[in-house]
Amino acid sequence: MEKIKENPIVKKIGINRIVLCGVLLLMYAVFCMLSDKFVGMQRIMSALNYAYFLGFLSLGVTFVIATGGIDFSIGPVMFCSALISGYCLTSYGVPLALSLVISILVGALFGVFNGYFVAYWTVPPFIISMASMNIAKGLASVFTKTQSVSWPQSVDANGWYRSFVKVGNFPVGLVIFLVFAVLCSILLNQTKAGRYILSLGSNKEAVRLSGVNVKKWEMLAYVICGTLVGIAAIFFVAAYTTVQPGYGDQYNNEAIAGCVMGGTSMVGGLASISGTVIGVFIIALLQEGILALGFSKDYQLIITGIIVIVAVYADVATRRRKN
Amino acid sequence: MGDTILKMKEIDKSFPGVHALDHVNFEVRKGEVHALMGENGAGKSTLMKVLTGIYTKDSGSIMFEGKEVEFHNTREAQDAGIVIVHQELNMLGHLTVAQNIFIGREFKKGIRIDDKKMNEEAAKLFGKLHIDIDPAETMSNLTVGKQQMCEIAKAISHEAKVIIFDEPSAALTETEIEELFKIIRDLRKQQLGIVYISHRMDEIKVITDRVTVMRDGGYVGTLITNDCTKDDIINMMVGRVIYEDPKTESTVPKGAPVVLKVENLNAGRMVQDVSFELRKGEILGFSGLMGAGRTETARAIFGADPKTGGDIYINGQKVEINSPEDAVKCGIGYLSEDRKRFGIVVQKSVAENSTMAALENFVKGLFIDKKTENKVAQDYVESLATKTPGVDQLVVNLSGGNQQKVVIAKWLIRNCDILIFDEPTRGIDVGAKNEIYKLMNRLAEEGKSIIMISSEMTEILRMSDRIVVMCEGRKTGEIDISEASQEIIMNMATREI
Amino acid sequence: MNKTVVKTPEEKKRSFFSRPGSQKFIVLLVVVFLFIFFSIFSENFRKYTTILSIMDYSYYIVLMAIGVTFPLITGGVDLSIGTGLICYSLAGGYLVVHCGWPTWAGMIVSVLFGILIGMLNGVLVSIMSLPPFLATLCTCMITRGLGSICSKSFGISWPTSGSEGSWFRDIFKITIGDTKYPLGFVWVLLLVLLMAFVLNHTKIGRYTIAIGSNKEATILSGINVRFYHIMAYVISGLFAGLASIAYSAVFSTVQPGTGAGFELEAIGGAIIGGVSASGGSGSVGGSLLGVFVICLLKTGLPYIGLQANWQQIITGLVLIGAVMVDILKKKKAATV
Repeated sequence: MEKIKENPIVKKIGINRIVLCGVLLLMYAVFCMLSDKFVGMQRIMSALNYAYFLGFLSLGVTFVIATGGIDFSIGPVMFCSALISGYCLTSYGVPLALSLVISILVGALFGVFNGYFVAYWTVPPFIISMASMNIAKGLASVFTKTQSVSWPQSVDANGWYRSFVKVGNFPVGLVIFLVFAVLCSILLNQTKAGRYILSLGSNKEAVRLSGVNVKKWEMLAYVICGTLVGIAAIFFVAAYTTVQPGYGDQYNNEAIAGCVMGGTSMVGGLASISGTVIGVFIIALLQEGILALGFSKDYQLIITGIIVIVAVYADVATRRRKN
Repeated sequence: MGDTILKMKEIDKSFPGVHALDHVNFEVRKGEVHALMGENGAGKSTLMKVLTGIYTKDSGSIMFEGKEVEFHNTREAQDAGIVIVHQELNMLGHLTVAQNIFIGREFKKGIRIDDKKMNEEAAKLFGKLHIDIDPAETMSNLTVGKQQMCEIAKAISHEAKVIIFDEPSAALTETEIEELFKIIRDLRKQQLGIVYISHRMDEIKVITDRVTVMRDGGYVGTLITNDCTKDDIINMMVGRVIYEDPKTESTVPKGAPVVLKVENLNAGRMVQDVSFELRKGEILGFSGLMGAGRTETARAIFGADPKTGGDIYINGQKVEINSPEDAVKCGIGYLSEDRKRFGIVVQKSVAENSTMAALENFVKGLFIDKKTENKVAQDYVESLATKTPGVDQLVVNLSGGNQQKVVIAKWLIRNCDILIFDEPTRGIDVGAKNEIYKLMNRLAEEGKSIIMISSEMTEILRMSDRIVVMCEGRKTGEIDISEASQEIIMNMATREI
Repeated sequence: MNKTVVKTPEEKKRSFFSRPGSQKFIVLLVVVFLFIFFSIFSENFRKYTTILSIMDYSYYIVLMAIGVTFPLITGGVDLSIGTGLICYSLAGGYLVVHCGWPTWAGMIVSVLFGILIGMLNGVLVSIMSLPPFLATLCTCMITRGLGSICSKSFGISWPTSGSEGSWFRDIFKITIGDTKYPLGFVWVLLLVLLMAFVLNHTKIGRYTIAIGSNKEATILSGINVRFYHIMAYVISGLFAGLASIAYSAVFSTVQPGTGAGFELEAIGGAIIGGVSASGGSGSVGGSLLGVFVICLLKTGLPYIGLQANWQQIITGLVLIGAVMVDILKKKKAATV
């Protein structure tokens, strides 16, 4: 085992990610064996549909968790974005392109809101998450008068946005998602912002004493998260078209699960975008598999909950051992 | 003075790389106040930690009330009757005074906690000590001094036979100290044995019966307080050891410009009206005992803590420093005494830590230019002789001395001209110490100006061109190296105000 | 010992602001103000039935708030109470409706289920040292899934008034003659008094505060911190279980998949009532008053022509406001 760990190629990719990839493949194989319906493109496409929006949520929350914070308003905020922009589109006749921009803006604004209170007011992140989760739900309900919103279908005049997800049978969404993942990885690892976000997650005071404006960068992490949540909303409606107010919290846990499974530490300072991507695929595949095997979505809630507990505990335990 | 109640004999304790206690003897009699003195790092706290079971001794014996004892934790020591009043308070701010005193051993009436009885008992206790505190008051509403009294009351309520005061007066006002002394005299009358750890020479003379002095983990001697002078004690504390090449005269050229001028700096109780000047190429030593306010002064200058008054001039120009960001822009760098908490980001690499303060210089377009970053970091690894397998090594894996060099590299890469070194060699082994010294000298020669805060007299005398001495938040002296000696500095650092 | 302790003016001032009663008093004023405000602006609000419906809405939130006060005081949080409540109610209700269990047995199952989840939360937080918000976020999702599975994804109606086994509905709203009386308020008040006693006069409460105040010092005092830390979450679970009974009794149908957001109303109420978001202080009575602020907003806003969903937004903002007041108070105390 030690030998494998020391292998330069393994080291470069990270043993964690290799194991995760193994889990992903194994899960696929198991689902294929258990259900003959699972083999074939259709299930994979369906799982991918789920992976896109969840992936964007997960990428976003990775930045926040990297600072040592948390944001579990992302699910409801995503719905809020999709509802407000969708309502603009369908009821006020706002052009589609502008609606998409509105969606991203709403997400970003929530990011600004969360980040401002966490960074400049030192309000505990979980309180802010709780508050903005409800504000997002309330706002969406008030704005849409508690009606669900149906975005246009592919065949409609305004249906072109659906090709973000797929054109024919080609998964465009996968390409876009991976491009964004690469961009996020670059942002996190190659830029000043990412460097400071990771560093302040590890030791905020030391970074502050290096003459860095930590508040600004901490807030930025939430803004990045919010923006990605706004994008996630677009991919949600592009995949499913209909959004209902009052929901969205179930995705919080799945997004956080994808993130912590991929090796991002809850105490901050350690984050892996590639890990998050694989984690998201695992969650999406799990969701699809559970449905394919005829179980209800409820089992997924439970399994995701357990996955998060186990993943975070693994992180806590390793850190304890190191000390 | 009565019989010996506690006798520690030939106590020996080593940590990896440090011989913390070298066959130390110490004894306390009933009804005596016994001072334990020594410079920072002399081993006083370690000795007390061995006594109360926080550390286990390597060899030697502890006799308590005629029996050999060995405690495994503070609880056991407490039950036997040895309690320690810590310098930092272990209080529960949201509970009342009585609730704090009896935490973990509440009086009960059925399932109900009998707060009334606890208040009465606490009042009795305070009555015995002649302390005027309302037992029903919430702890966080009391002044620090009153909180300290509560800690003492708590200690006594354990039916203590020996009470150890670890720098009890550090946070107290004059009147509170008076009260404390009254209590200690009372306890002495009740035939308790009292160990009093303090740096304040005047207090030692007032309150204690005997003084035991420690130095570098060793036992130096025990004196009867009334029969000795302050100088006797100081001599024992600093010793007669000849230290390696102390500086004999300042190496700063005459007429070197003043780069930093601090006027009437105020920041809370620990920094009061501090003024000084720093010249180009100078190493300005900041000496003083623990809690003298040196670190606080540095942090206030650096903008890490808010200051309440005072002006700072850099190269003759007045500057506003309200955050570390401002300070760094002014070219000030700060190496904290607590590297792990304030200096390095342990989960990041050597290169990433080195460029932390000057990341702007390594950004090309949108991205960090890692090639240049690594190259520059590598240059500094070489020029500072940092021992690391590579610049991509995580800092957590380096030794203390090398971590310190990474922090120094951080400020050098930022091109800071004024460097504040706060205890630069704390927790660093001897070889690495010398390297840090050489490095500081080189930096000064290159025209950097350094403020060096140090509690080690050797370090102060070896490195400084000029020395500022602080005591209890005030500057109590300033002296050129050519006139400085350990005795003079120690005198200033323990001056009665 | 003379009892007259002389205080400096500063000390007096500080102790007034930090006195736990002062915030409670202010919140009480807010409750009264809101009540008067809605009464002035809406004729319909002034009716007795409105008061009855405010009471109906308040029971389960108050009960949750009483329970969650304990984990909050330890410096943690319990996000699982909202979905938990629905889960326990569904589980108990399924046994009563579909398996023919007597009502009392179903109620006991609800409460035991709550205690069990509370214990799980406690173990995750205290022994496995997971961050409280994360551990309870997970159990929040788990209970949500479990609730649906228990009820096979169908809504469950506990025995309706008049039918056999509906006596438990009278616990909360009793009809004497032609008038309905909010009897539940009496029980809620009794439980508030009981838990105020537990918090202030028993070991469990004392050590709950101690853990939130300074966990390290509490451990050093030789207290079994793990046990008492778990107990705080068990209490929270127990009261979520009791809240589930109130919910089953007040509402005709319990729908699986709901319950998310209830916890905000309870936690928000507790924090508005003076529980510090960073732990260490708070009171059960304050939590009760805080919940009434939220309940009044919830029931009152529609009467003045605002959608009920505005209440969600306002609750969120009020929560942030309450936390900021707490932070400002601490900052002020630190500079004095």
